[in-house]
Parts: sequence; structure tokens; C-alpha cells
Amino acid sequence: MTAVGRSRWATLLLYGSLTVLGIVWLVPMLSAVMTSILPISQTRQGWWNLSPADLTFGNFARAWDQGLSKYAVNSFIITGLAVVLTVSAGSLAAYAYARMAFRFKATTYFLLITTMIVPVQIILIPMLPWFRTLGLNAGPQEYLGIALVHTAFGAGWAVFMLGAFFAAIPEDLLEAARIDGAGWFDVFRRIALPLAVPGIVSFAIIDFVFVWNDLLLALTLLDRAHQPLTVGLANLQTPHLAQEDLVAAGSIMAILPPLLLFAALNRFYVRGLFAGATKG
Amino acid sequence: MASRRTTTVAPTPRETAPSPPRQEAPRRRTRTLERFAAYVFVAPLLAVFAAFYLWPALVTVCSSFFRWGLLRPWSPVEPDRWRFVGLDNYTATLTDASFWNAVLNTAVWLIVFPLLVVGFSLLVSILIWYTSRAGAVFRTVFILPMTISLAAAGVIWSFVYNVDPQIGVLNAVLDRLGILGADWRLGPLELHPGAWLSNPGVLHLGFADIRLTNLVLVVPAFWAFTGFGVITLTAGLTAVPYELVEAAKVDGANAWQAARHILVPALRRPLVVVGVVSVIFALRTFDIVYVMTGGGPAQDTMVLALLLWQQAFAFLDTPQGGQATAIAVLMSAVLVAGSYPYLRQLIAGRSR
Repeated sequence: MTAVGRSRWATLLLYGSLTVLGIVWLVPMLSAVMTSILPISQTRQGWWNLSPADLTFGNFARAWDQGLSKYAVNSFIITGLAVVLTVSAGSLAAYAYARMAFRFKATTYFLLITTMIVPVQIILIPMLPWFRTLGLNAGPQEYLGIALVHTAFGAGWAVFMLGAFFAAIPEDLLEAARIDGAGWFDVFRRIALPLAVPGIVSFAIIDFVFVWNDLLLALTLLDRAHQPLTVGLANLQTPHLAQEDLVAAGSIMAILPPLLLFAALNRFYVRGLFAGATKG
Repeated sequence: MASRRTTTVAPTPRETAPSPPRQEAPRRRTRTLERFAAYVFVAPLLAVFAAFYLWPALVTVCSSFFRWGLLRPWSPVEPDRWRFVGLDNYTATLTDASFWNAVLNTAVWLIVFPLLVVGFSLLVSILIWYTSRAGAVFRTVFILPMTISLAAAGVIWSFVYNVDPQIGVLNAVLDRLGILGADWRLGPLELHPGAWLSNPGVLHLGFADIRLTNLVLVVPAFWAFTGFGVITLTAGLTAVPYELVEAAKVDGANAWQAARHILVPALRRPLVVVGVVSVIFALRTFDIVYVMTGGGPAQDTMVLALLLWQQAFAFLDTPQGGQATAIAVLMSAVLVAGSYPYLRQLIAGRSR
């Protein structure tokens, strides 16, 4: 687009205001980054007065040694398990909701969609006794337990968002395969699934970010040995303990994996959110 | 692999219903499986959904009519230990001052948060739409905080809000401007810039005092969430041809009028989406408050989601579990009822 008839002042104002807003937007992040790579003595004199000689990664090493490593491993296990469960069960179901007819379709769809709206608290309170009944309350089974809760709560988004991608596959393609005698499972595996891969990647990223960032479920359902980074970070954050350096390093560690994923697969992330947000 | 595991947990009832004749079993079986393929497809997800959402939600609703504490939780299979109290939990909740305090604070969230998100993302996406280059860069900057967990966003903003002007950026700026620690009174409004997380100010409304600390907490949530609005609205604007605005300008409209009469109407649907989703987000608020203030000082920033969590999990032996479930049920009912038209629209757009 060329800006015909736009004065130089208007252009300057446009880019100027966007730049100022953008810088303001990045200041909080910059603040955390600087606090994490400066010794605390330097942070206490204002990170904006930094001298480059002081930069250090010691805060990260200390935060890592003080238990964040365990939290980080837990985060990866929980998130990986939850994403695999949600994506595999979700894409099967989403295909059926987008492409097939069956009884109670509308009712179950409505119930699934309510997970996008209802607060997690509605299931939280009876969850601990329920985990005890199912034997998911101790040891490595806790990972499976919370991953299953994430799957249940991601079910609405999965069916909604993945359904949009399956619905976008041209009917002719699927019909042709059906006429050739392929069953539903063959059609799904050989045609629908490969075509929906970009959509599935989008959803997997969004689900990853969502599960990785959960605090409430992990805080409530997991014991100390199985909690993820978000809980570790909340535990570190005690205002009167004066360990800004460790807290900042921890927050950067917690931010980094989803951020890197976003940077690497930005296109997928945005497309997925857009499909979820405006289709329908 | 994972889906197979859940399938074995709960096989579809449909699969076994019509039993095929014994002879040529393999072929018949695949054909039966074909007929009920849809049920096989949805079974794994619905099994997990039923076990880890529907059932616990049902237990929550039921247990809100009983008296119990976390040490002796209500159990659907032990009727001899039930202490039925009818609607007592609801009346106790609705007559509790701390509940209404949390309602007031949540109301601040419900009003301010969507307005900030919608207003700011509308402004930014229109500005980005007008740019001829670097639009994607600006968009990325505003989307970036979306990937950050609210817990981390709370931590990051605690640095920004730090009272010490040597540590907190915001107070450093106020210090330079010479207004740090000022004490202003403008009619019903009381302001103490600098004491962000303890007492930044109060709005005296006669019937209630609105603590501005809540606004201080809304900002990080807004910062972390606005990317959603920017994505949705910039995507909505890609459909608007630039020539349309050019033509309006030729007819004498200024940039403001062009935006108001061409761009905003084109965004009606995306704006509704952003508005509704941010209202839902605001009512569910937990993480930011938990990390930054824990609902304090006193109960100044207590919101419903945190209040019910504390009632259920912080008081081990007091019988407030029933009240916590009552709040959960009330919140969910309000959300589902309030967003029902939106839900209907979502589903209608999908049914085929």
C-alpha cells in the first residue's frame, strides 16, 4: 500500500505513536531481563544505570540449583503429556464433529464448548478426593492425572478449533475416497489427517502455551515434587525476601519455552488463534 | 498410543450393542465398527471429558447443598455422612461481607479489563492497518506478552511496580517528575502514586469504596491478554481494502472519520468476540492476584476466583467447603447464562 495523499506529518505521527507504544509494551519484559542478568547490588541502583561489565548469568545458575530445575522438568512432562493426549483424542473427536452424523452430537458439542467458558474452579474442589479414588494422587501418576484434567478442559477448544480445520477440507476429496471403498478410519488417516497437519500444529502450540502457563490446577492438584515452573515461580515470589535476582531469572526461564516456540512457529500460532477466534 | 489408552478405559457402549452373527466374524466386525465409526472417534475424548469434567462438576453442584470441610470432603458414595443443609451455603455466601467485597473487586475487573483490551487493541490494530511497512513487526511486539504465563506476568510487573525508585521503573519515572509519594484528593478520589500494591488510592462512592489497587492489578492482565485482541482485530481488518478509505478521504473525510465509519463497522463481529472472551477472562481472574497480592492488603484485591479457592483449600478444618462450591456454582451459572447467546452463535456457525 502506498500512502497517497497522506502528509509527512501524519506518517510521522503514525509510526511515532506505534513506536512509543511498542517501547512501553516491552519495558516490563526488559525490566525482568535486566534484573535477571545483573547482580542484585546493581539492580538495587536501577537496572537502567547498568554498566555492561556487570552482566552475569550467575542468577540463572543459582535459581536452577535452588530447585527450579526440578520444576522445569515437571513442566515439560506435564505439558508434553497433556498436549499429546489432547491433540490425539481431540483430533479424532473434532473430525467426527466436523464431518460425521451421530446421536447426541449437538448436546455433547454444547457440553464440550462450555469448557471454554466455565471457570476451572467448578471441578477443582472435588478433584483431590477423586484423584485419590482413581489412584492419581501420588507418584508419577500425578502427571497423568493433571494431564487428563487439562485434556478435559482443553476438549472444547480442541473440538472447536481442530473442527474448523477439518471442516475446511473439500468434501469432494473425502467423498472420492469413500466411493473408492475406503472406510472412515482410512479416510481419516490417509486424507483428512495429513491435510489438517498445519491446523493440528497450530492447536498443539496454543495448547502447549496454555498448559505450560497453568497455575491454578497445578497449585491445587499436585504435591511439591510434581509442581511445574509457574508454581515454583509463585513460591519464589515472596515480597519481603529480597531475591529479585532469582525471581527474575526464574521468570525468564518460565517464559522462554513458550516464547521460543512462538518465535519459531509464529505463523501457526497466529493462524490457529485466528481460526479459533473468528470462525463460527 | 495415548488415545488408545483412554479408549480402553471406557469402551463405547454402542460398539457392543448389535452382536453380529458368528460366521465371517472378522469382516462383519470391521463393518460394524464402520457403522459406529463416529462413536469410536468421539469416545476417547468424551470418556476423559466425562471423568474429569462432567463428573467433578456434578459433584461440585451436589456438594454445594451439604455441609463439609476439606478434611472430610463430601462424597457421593457415603450417604451416611451427608449433612444436607439445603440452600444454607448459598444464603451464607450471599449474606457474607467478604463475598460482596470480592464481587465488588471482580466487578471492577469485569468493567475495566474488557474496556482496556477492546479499546487498546482497536487503536493499535487500526494504526497497524494504516502502516505501509513494518506492520508485522509492531504486531509481533503487541502479541509477544500473550505467550507469557499470568504467573510470570505478575512477577514481571511486580518489578515494574516496586516501591523503591531504584528498582521499580514506574516509581523511578515518578521520582524524576517529582510526584512520587504525592497525596492527592480530587473530590471522591484519593490518590497516592507510588504505593502501587499497597494503597495507590481509593474512590469513595458513598455506598462503597473502590480500591484502585484492583486497577493496578488489571494492567498486567491487560498487558498479557491484549495480543489476543490485536490478532483478532488485525485479521478482521485484512478484509478491508485500502481504496475504500482513500475514496472516503477524497470525499473529504479525515482519518478519524474514515476509521469510525469504515473500519469499526467492518470489525463488529471480531469486536464482539474480543469483548466476550475478555469478560470471561476477567471473571476467571486468579493467577495475577494470587502472585502479586494474594488478595491483600487486607481484602482489598480479593476476587471471587481467589476467594473460593481460599475457602476451599486454605481453611482445612472449618466447614466452608460448601460455601466455596456455592461460589463456584454461582460463578459458572453467571458465566454460562451471560455468554449463552455467544455460545449459541458459536454452535450455530458450526452446525452443518
